[in-house]
Amino acid sequence: MKNEIFDALIIGSGHSGGMAAKILTEKGIRCLMLNAGPVADVSRDAQRKPAYELPYRGFKPPGRLEHVFQSNEFNANVWVDEQEVPYTFDPAHPYNWVRVRLFGGRSLFWSRQSFRLSDYEFKAKSHDGFGEDWPISLADLAPYYSRVEEIFRVEGALDGPPQMPDGNFILDNDPWSASMQRFIAAAKPWNMPVCKQRRALGRDGLASSVNLLLPDAEKTGNLTSIADAVVRELTVDKNTGQPNGCNFVDRLSRREMSVKARVIVLAAGTLESTRLLLNSRLANSSGVMGHYLMDQIYGAGVVCSVPEARGGKSKAIMGGGAIVPRFRNIATKDDKFLRGYAFNVTSSTGGVDPRNFAAYGAELQQKLDEYQGSGFHMTIMGEVLGRYENHVRIDTSKVDAWDIPALHVETKYTDNEFNMARDAAEVGSAVAEAAGFEVLSKNPTPNPPGYSIHEVGTCRMGDDPKTSVLNKWCQSHDHKNLFVVDGACFVSSGWQNPTMTISALSMRAAEYLAGEMNRQNL
Amino acid sequence: MQRRDFVRAVISVSLAPKVLLAQEAGSPAPSLPAPVPWTLGLNSKAPLPVTEVADTVAAAELTFFTPRQMSTLTRLSDLLLPPIGGKPGALQAQTPEFLDFLVGSSPEPRRTMYSAGLDWLDAESHKAHKKPFASLDDAQAGAMLKPLLRTWMNDHPPTGPHVGFINIAHDDIRNATVNSKAWSEAPRVGAEESTAIGLFWSPIEPDTYGMSAECAHMQAHILATPKTGHSMPIYKR
Repeated sequence: MKNEIFDALIIGSGHSGGMAAKILTEKGIRCLMLNAGPVADVSRDAQRKPAYELPYRGFKPPGRLEHVFQSNEFNANVWVDEQEVPYTFDPAHPYNWVRVRLFGGRSLFWSRQSFRLSDYEFKAKSHDGFGEDWPISLADLAPYYSRVEEIFRVEGALDGPPQMPDGNFILDNDPWSASMQRFIAAAKPWNMPVCKQRRALGRDGLASSVNLLLPDAEKTGNLTSIADAVVRELTVDKNTGQPNGCNFVDRLSRREMSVKARVIVLAAGTLESTRLLLNSRLANSSGVMGHYLMDQIYGAGVVCSVPEARGGKSKAIMGGGAIVPRFRNIATKDDKFLRGYAFNVTSSTGGVDPRNFAAYGAELQQKLDEYQGSGFHMTIMGEVLGRYENHVRIDTSKVDAWDIPALHVETKYTDNEFNMARDAAEVGSAVAEAAGFEVLSKNPTPNPPGYSIHEVGTCRMGDDPKTSVLNKWCQSHDHKNLFVVDGACFVSSGWQNPTMTISALSMRAAEYLAGEMNRQNL
Repeated sequence: MQRRDFVRAVISVSLAPKVLLAQEAGSPAPSLPAPVPWTLGLNSKAPLPVTEVADTVAAAELTFFTPRQMSTLTRLSDLLLPPIGGKPGALQAQTPEFLDFLVGSSPEPRRTMYSAGLDWLDAESHKAHKKPFASLDDAQAGAMLKPLLRTWMNDHPPTGPHVGFINIAHDDIRNATVNSKAWSEAPRVGAEESTAIGLFWSPIEPDTYGMSAECAHMQAHILATPKTGHSMPIYKR
């Protein structure tokens, strides 16, 4: 029987697993990567089609992906099927768990917005008294952010205020369009810093683990990968009590397998890593595992039209986008909510969605013709507070297609999030009107929790083993050969897309791990 | 399979191609007495059959809405998206028939919303005009709908009695029509929306465990000895 012992077992192949694999293998550490799904090959698995050739004319196939708002008929088969891998929640408080199990995971599809957290996040408690500070600061992570930004080829301008630290960017020197200049001027009274978007260019428009990270790991010859390996539980050495590998089931054949490794690196995505640890009954001496689930509020915002751009005059006025980093509770204190939100701002040269007009038929078409190329959008990305009661646990009454107990998600937004979303819709409308834009529609209500696909927390890091699951190296307080390198370690969510932070933390954890292995501490 | 059975099977299979080939004058004799590797012929010189989208040529069987609801939906679709410019309207795109299929295949909330919404429209029409919604003229129907129209952003359709239904149905009717073949073939003159064209992902190495013998707890078929005179093997059932 084959039973090779690897140096490190990496579970998950997205940005965090890919980064850990790259760093570890480049340092000569032999890694085994398990991924729960297959490799997606666009030339084999996909072809261009018009919607009318599909059974549902492009509508989401009914009943299959009710909690994946991002899905449609074209991409329905890339998401995790809610029937195959179910999770449970109170119907009054739904949770959108948006998952991809293809090799590379969600790194295949992310929006590529790339931000650093600031000390307003790392030291949030020191700033406003809520929650906990992270055991690290921006200074600890800054060198890793710089290296990650170089790998991902992040484009941006060095125009960030302290709450949006600048980075190692490919500089964006494009001038602002006329509509954006009007927005910038109108936003001044609200102390809204309007900055250039920050986006990973990657290679050929893809900034995924599969094209930026895994090839480097494979080049070393130290990486072995297995697809369709659905991990059931971590295994424990009877003598030492430390995790020493895992049992997994082949997704297609249902064959039960096991592997052994000296170090375990979990990178299955926030909630899958936590589910695996809970099912393995490991690393939870603190009792806080599964708690402090956070994400970001999305969905609230404003759609406007720039009157001067209508009637075919779009080109001279419209175009470009901006990021407005958090501007609430920085210099002043808001009495309705803690923390804050950012705006994604887009000046569009395309069509305006018909939903923005209370009209139909010929009248609606006339509006669409007239407003074409004049759309101006502001949408929220807001911080969700980390609360003990927002948590996940194992649902002992439900299993997935491989008989692995399912996750129960119990989380809801509070007045802090709802007030923040309302503020965004009000401020967005006010700025738009001050700029002379027509507000077509606005929405003050956030999408359900999970929608942002930025779920973080549930294995938070900290210096105190009694109140945190991981230490500042993403290493389990209970088991020094166990690391969780995805978003589960977050202490606060911030408003920022978490990919850069997850990747930087994974890089930092992997270098620490490699050092400990070389010093024979692991 | 025993060796003599194998030989018998090979001989019987190899007879057929010989007979066929004999009809072609001057064709070379087959080099191997074995089944033809047919996939070799599926090369770039062999065109693939051309197929048509079914609902452009065939009538769909209606299964969900009642005839009354269907006539209300048909009138609603025609009113909200009539033919404009060179583009077909919802009726030319068979949108009501498509929605019967889409809504009928959907989970309960969408089915109820549509059924109740269409029934309500018809009932209101009887109250106001003493005739079904399907018989209202444009001005009458428009006067009923206009107060219910709202603007809204993605994922947040308006709520409230009947408002949700009208605005969601309007959106569905537009999307189903814009994504029809009829719409895509008509030339674009203004800012009409375009038919969605995208990269369609087939199931990627789908899990077919549910179809497997192990899953069904059925004994796998066992190859039996073919009866004399039969070239095809017979399976015990």
